[in-house]
Amino acid sequence: MSDVLATSGLTKRYGGLMANERVAIALSRGEIRGLIGPNGAGKTTLVNLVTGIERPDAGDVMLDGLAVTGLGPHRIAARGLVRSFQVARVFGNLTVRENLMVPYFACERISGTIEALARMDELLRLSTLQPLADDLAKSLSGGQRMLLQACAGFMIPGVKVHVLDEPFAGINPVVKDTLIDLILKENQSGATFLIVSHEMEIIRRICPLVTVMIGGKVAAEGPLEEIARREDVVTAYLGRSLQ
Amino acid sequence: MYSTELLTQTLIAGVMIGVLYALMALGITFIYSIVRMINWAMGEFYMLGSYIQYVAVAYALGRNYWWLAILVSTAGTFLIGYLLEPILIKPMHVRPMERRDDYATVVTIALLLMLRSLAVAIGGPYQYRPETNLPIMWVGPLPMEGARVAASVFALVALALFYLVISRTWIGLALRAMAQNRVAAQTSGVNVFRLDAVAFAIGVALAGLAGALLAPLFLVYPTNGAVTTVKGFEIIVIGGLGSIPGALIGGVLLGVVESLGAAFISSPYQNAYGFVLVLLVLLVRPYGLFGERGREA
Repeated sequence: MSDVLATSGLTKRYGGLMANERVAIALSRGEIRGLIGPNGAGKTTLVNLVTGIERPDAGDVMLDGLAVTGLGPHRIAARGLVRSFQVARVFGNLTVRENLMVPYFACERISGTIEALARMDELLRLSTLQPLADDLAKSLSGGQRMLLQACAGFMIPGVKVHVLDEPFAGINPVVKDTLIDLILKENQSGATFLIVSHEMEIIRRICPLVTVMIGGKVAAEGPLEEIARREDVVTAYLGRSLQ
Repeated sequence: MYSTELLTQTLIAGVMIGVLYALMALGITFIYSIVRMINWAMGEFYMLGSYIQYVAVAYALGRNYWWLAILVSTAGTFLIGYLLEPILIKPMHVRPMERRDDYATVVTIALLLMLRSLAVAIGGPYQYRPETNLPIMWVGPLPMEGARVAASVFALVALALFYLVISRTWIGLALRAMAQNRVAAQTSGVNVFRLDAVAFAIGVALAGLAGALLAPLFLVYPTNGAVTTVKGFEIIVIGGLGSIPGALIGGVLLGVVESLGAAFISSPYQNAYGFVLVLLVLLVRPYGLFGERGREA
């Protein structure tokens, strides 16, 4: 079984709204999977269910063959499933460097500190945040915060899957490219990614496979080129054609 | 009447009691920052600390080891806090993680009543005084009870230790992160529930320490924490909720203002001068001297 992350029958209901209905997706190891869909399709709900922010009404989440359903977010993070948020959640009154130390020490405590510091320097360099390393995170721009948030995730030792919720939303093209390079580099060292995004150009570039959600269900799966031709997907995004 | 000597004495006395008030305020503000609720039972942990001090000195260690009893009292309140938080406070916060603090706050009021009643049931409505072997000491020109001097010194050491833990250790870093963004801390792998218990325990241990230190001066009885709690909250309003420097400076400020008022205006109103200070601060800076208008998201 090579699926590093798999969900089956994942269901979440908010009152009368079926936010996720029997969602099943499977990511193989080393994959960068895109997750797309119109607003309100249940993408963020799926991310929340998978990473333990919310508890599913039914269904299972398997990480590397082990069930992590219903565990708290810190337990799931410690087991190697880490997420970023659509609005970057950084610690504003900590420095950039301290921000990177939090996830490391939270999971690893004190062993291997030397490697962690080296890793931190590498990430600071790759993310171009080096000159700001000792500034408070609240002085960063929105894009820099996104970078910092992503790097904080990369600091956790032994992460298997990174789930990024809209990492490219509202950030400038240069920062976007830096972030893409970071993701590709992490991917080469073995990390699997699930990326929620509306940026089709980037999804086309880095995600060989794409999952489409519509109305809380998985509607299609495959390469973006193929999916973009499917009638139901186009309809969901653009509405029915006029003629 | 207005001699410089009296002024110096008053200032010294004010600062010395101020650092003890600061302990209480720091405990309140620290618990609020991490666990996200006001602990109304702070005074009762102060009371617990003073009772443990009395029992330890009177029945076990003797007056020569009063300083060891202080450590026992602090550790004891820490332990009680660490054990109570998961039972009483944590269940009040249910998912999702952006939590409401109302229930937890009400539970601390229940805890306040319970601990007071427990003290009456066990120790009766009497006043006790744990002894020390400290002589009268001279602080500059001012003769003072040894216990008062020792209390200030212990409080200063505790504040320094607190600062070191918060600024220099990984647990301090995790606590600071948690205070700023609980959800992000949790998705970074920080076990926020365990740190809730640790933060609560540290906060109430500060109160317990204050109680143990002040026990020889302000005595031990079931409601002895009430006045100190009120002062703790006065300081929070003065310094700003959630601000650690605010708690320290507010505490010293309150101590000095009370001392000055008692010495130069009228001593029976000692406890009222703080409220005048609170009103003044509220007029000028409603969010406290060091408070932020809104918190960093």
